[in-house]
Amino acid sequence: MKYIIQLGLILLIFCAVASGILAYVNSKTSPVIAARKLLEEEQTRKELLPSAKSFEQVKAAADTNFVYYVASNETGQVIGYAFIAAKNGYSSLVKSMVALDSEYRIINMKVIDQNETPGLGTNCAIESFWKLFRNLGYDDLLVDKDGGKIKSLTGATITTRAVTNSIKEAIAILRTDLEAKAKQGGAQ
Amino acid sequence: MTFLKELTKGLIKENPIFVIVLGICPTLAVTTSVKNAIGMGMAATFVLICSNTIISLIKNVTPPKIRIPIYIVVIASFVSIVDMVMAAYTPAVHKSLGIFIPLIVVNCIILGRAEAFASKNNMLSSIADGIGMGLGFTLSLIVVASIRELLGTGSWLEMNIFPSTYDPMLVAILAPGAFITLGFLMGVMQMLKNRRK
Repeated sequence: MKYIIQLGLILLIFCAVASGILAYVNSKTSPVIAARKLLEEEQTRKELLPSAKSFEQVKAAADTNFVYYVASNETGQVIGYAFIAAKNGYSSLVKSMVALDSEYRIINMKVIDQNETPGLGTNCAIESFWKLFRNLGYDDLLVDKDGGKIKSLTGATITTRAVTNSIKEAIAILRTDLEAKAKQGGAQ
Repeated sequence: MTFLKELTKGLIKENPIFVIVLGICPTLAVTTSVKNAIGMGMAATFVLICSNTIISLIKNVTPPKIRIPIYIVVIASFVSIVDMVMAAYTPAVHKSLGIFIPLIVVNCIILGRAEAFASKNNMLSSIADGIGMGLGFTLSLIVVASIRELLGTGSWLEMNIFPSTYDPMLVAILAPGAFITLGFLMGVMQMLKNRRK
């Protein structure tokens, strides 16, 4: 009995030291990681919407997890929107950053995070795939296998569908939110 | 002399993949491209050297009955530290290696070397063993990945090697291709070994 307690205590000491070190490293690195992530997102937004002068962060009223950015030019006129759309693909969460014009048509998009099947699904992270989405509106966002226009990646229909549908859903939320806010603003 | 011996044995004589057959799961998973193979190999080598060092240092205070949980705590802590530090200070490297880092925790080469070598030898030879095994692992990954990437996409390290008329053999980069390639390579290694006798 005594021996078992002794073993347990030794293991406890090891774990305590290890978690202490981990907590210290985490406290030092997590602000750096968070700052870097924000900076990266900001750069991607500017890359997708180069004509925008400023971005204003807006939280969707219906879905508090959904955040979008309203982009305006020098004179303060709204020229478009940017947001991150995410959905589960074949083996990972596929995230893409999308820029819309004020008519809700896609100006540009970029897959920013994915971990799909190498050689097949990972092809969603190359530019020739992103170009397929340019100038598409809400109704055009449909994969060819579902009767739409977007040519799915070889051997990766599920990935293509995840990207397409995530953007489609996000546009729907964005549009509802903007329309609701416009109505509210009009009533005031 | 022994340092050198421990260093070089991992390359051919006790090659972790082809001879000891350890760490096959990450081998099958990441060898779809040479770039991935180098990344995984380097990350695993680093963790292997660190964990071997620590485990050989604490071998006298580790009760044998609970050595495995202690090794796992040491390895998992190192992997988490590597993950966090890389994400914070070398984001570009982290982006391409990020997916392999959690895989290292379950890489049995690291636990295997801790148990079979570092817990019985001094720090210096444990470091040598870590470097040697790590390099042997990396080299084997590169060999498997070269074959699969060449056949499967017609390129090597993302540079086109075969003319564009080459129709890629898709199966090579899919999971079955990994098993087939690994099987053939092990066969070749065994054949060479038998011939030398």
